[in-house]
Amino acid sequence: MKKKPFLSRIKAFFQDLKNNPDALTSAILSGVLMGLGQLRNKQKSKAGLFFGVFLLIVVVELLTGGYIYAFDEMSRYPALPTDTFTQINFLRDYGGLFVKGIWGLITLGQIPIMVTYRGNVTVTYNKVLTWLSADNSMTLLGNGLIALVLVSIVIAIWVFNIRDAYVTRKHQKHGEPVESGKQYFKRIWNEMFPYVILIPTLIMVLFFILIPFLFSFLLAFTNYTYRNNNLSNIVKWVGFENFTKIIVEPGWAGIFGNVVLWTVLFAISASVTCYILGMIQALIIESKYVKFKKFFRTILIVPWAVPSMVSLMVFRQAFQQDGLINKVLFQTNTMDDMVRFLTSIGLMGAPETIISWLTVFANANLTKAVIIMVNLWMGAPYFMMLITGVLTTLPKDLYEAASIDGANKWQSFSRITLPLILRATLPAIVMTFTFNFNNFGAIYFMTGGGPAIPTDLVPQSMLVTKGVPGATDILISWIYKLSFTADSQVFNMAAVYSILIFVFIGAISVFNLSRAKTLWEDD
Amino acid sequence: MKQKLIDAVLAVLAHLWLIFMVSIVLIPMLWMIMAAFTKGDALTGVPLWPDMSKFSWEHFDYVFNYSAMENAAMSDYWAAFLRTLTIAVVNLFGVVIFAVITGYTFARLRFKGKKNLLLLMMVLQMFPSFMGMLALYLLYRQFGMTNNPALLALIYTAGSIPYNTFLVRGFMRNIPKSLDESASIDGATPLQTLTKILFPLIVPIIGFIAVGAFMAPWLDYMLQSRFLREPTIATWLFNLVAGGNSAYKPLDFMAGALIIAIPIMIVQFFMQKYMVYGLTSGAEKG
Repeated sequence: MKKKPFLSRIKAFFQDLKNNPDALTSAILSGVLMGLGQLRNKQKSKAGLFFGVFLLIVVVELLTGGYIYAFDEMSRYPALPTDTFTQINFLRDYGGLFVKGIWGLITLGQIPIMVTYRGNVTVTYNKVLTWLSADNSMTLLGNGLIALVLVSIVIAIWVFNIRDAYVTRKHQKHGEPVESGKQYFKRIWNEMFPYVILIPTLIMVLFFILIPFLFSFLLAFTNYTYRNNNLSNIVKWVGFENFTKIIVEPGWAGIFGNVVLWTVLFAISASVTCYILGMIQALIIESKYVKFKKFFRTILIVPWAVPSMVSLMVFRQAFQQDGLINKVLFQTNTMDDMVRFLTSIGLMGAPETIISWLTVFANANLTKAVIIMVNLWMGAPYFMMLITGVLTTLPKDLYEAASIDGANKWQSFSRITLPLILRATLPAIVMTFTFNFNNFGAIYFMTGGGPAIPTDLVPQSMLVTKGVPGATDILISWIYKLSFTADSQVFNMAAVYSILIFVFIGAISVFNLSRAKTLWEDD
Repeated sequence: MKQKLIDAVLAVLAHLWLIFMVSIVLIPMLWMIMAAFTKGDALTGVPLWPDMSKFSWEHFDYVFNYSAMENAAMSDYWAAFLRTLTIAVVNLFGVVIFAVITGYTFARLRFKGKKNLLLLMMVLQMFPSFMGMLALYLLYRQFGMTNNPALLALIYTAGSIPYNTFLVRGFMRNIPKSLDESASIDGATPLQTLTKILFPLIVPIIGFIAVGAFMAPWLDYMLQSRFLREPTIATWLFNLVAGGNSAYKPLDFMAGALIIAIPIMIVQFFMQKYMVYGLTSGAEKG
């Protein structure tokens, strides 16, 4: 079925409204008060239901707010000219779940701690005079989001209610059969079953995925840092200031550029090296030359089974100055050769008697190379497994046909085997890339983001925070530092970078999604 | 004759390469095992060849018996183990219940907005978990919910709902619908159909999901480091090698890591077949 163009649909909609003025009256009545239109349509039970919803909202708002105390308190605690805030803010002081929620979302609070307001000094929390509690921007933001979600649901019900009043009246007018309230409820009850059993899931998703996501998203547009982590500085909306900051301000821009460059380089090289080595292993093991296939396969898969945190931290130990690697180099008398080699190809900044693999800034490139090698150790077996699986499914007759046509081994590999493997493993490659892009563990457990960049190389504007990235920090491990370095959290910038990652990864995922249509399309 | 020679050379090269790779795979692990059984506290003391004069159980003794507080009911390691176990068990039940119900709804029931909800689930799957982490942390702190392993498990559960829903849904769609239909003709409600007819048939995928959910919190560092003050296995291990000078105990770490890694590896090997199924089915099968 082809949908009509948008404009003509709008026209038809208004035409319909014009033709049914009586139904429009019902709709407007429902718009004024939920259930009123239904009452006019003589559907009492339905009207009762909708009005019940409306009543519930009003009661919740009244009970969660302080409206009943407002009159008494306003006269007892007037705003004084000597106060810091000389006006009484009614919405803030007495608003309930919905009103105060939306107010908080818009303003993020106005009254900090230890100022005079309505003749008293504000404190962290006052149980009786709740308006004396200082505004906590993060609570207000969280409550505001919850209120916003609830309000959206209410609006959806209201729109449904208006539409129902209109359509029912129209059908009544034209003498078409109209469901009685009873029939309606029975039908709704049966239809509701799927929604009812989805409610727990939706609540979980709402509170643990969607609202936190929106919360982080909104943080990017505030000035929330460690400076207003206490109640004496109210958080403010700053619009796109943080976004321009990461591009315009030289300090943040330079560091950000470096981190992004390394993140992309790491994600690409980590995925590609694992894929290539995995393919080589699979091809060699499955070739006719190799005996004890099962033995080799089993041993070479082992790194995949080791928990990655354990392997990374064991390697972290192995690459310490007194760790396994240096020890082997000493025992085999190759330490000097290794130092000379690493210096000559530029991985080591200056020759040393003992190699610091992970901790010296001059050797940052060496550290990066080590990270990619360790990741290769951990990641190649997965692709080996995957590609071995693909190899067993390759159609034999294709090769026979090719050899009859005179193709040599290389040709049948590059024209048949390789394209088939690539096609079968493309989603896995993309997934691995996105995984590595956010591979927190590979960086954090190996180096903790270090070696640290010497302070004279860090731009002045960055030195205010301890959340300066190290030489091997990728975006996500830097975000972790920005968010959780004690006493120097830069939440808003962390949120900005989170959004950038989300947009980038989201774009790639959409590409993968469009390939996997069967997953979300219904039968 | 010439072909035979080439084949022989290739065979030798292939085996040499594989033996080289095998040693690269095994050496770090053997070193780790050796370190766990070495006397003293320094990496320098770890020999390259097995050396009985340096053999010691002391690091395992540390793991099983050491506790920073006197009169503690159990060693720090076991306390951390129990905390992680709590997360794992709560997560296991949460994930199975949610995935089965949601997967069933999307596989079998017809309702308005189903396609949009499925698409929403698909999009949610893309949300990087760390994006919500900061917000969840602030919210948990606000409501005094930090330092509670069972409440932390809710975050794990919620995060894995979308993916597991698709797994269950995909599995259920391969079960003929005629089964449900004949059940509903016999008067079964949808809930009865799910519990009596479909549930026994989807036990394999439930097992897969359950194992995955149980395994997820072990050695997952990021969430646990922020939401719990007291150590779990992951943070306990991390602190042994990332801590300051006196807390740096690499050999104790090796012993602790070995104890936790071995059961995980056994499960991984056992689940190997299914893991690959899970990894690919997410992207390809319906």
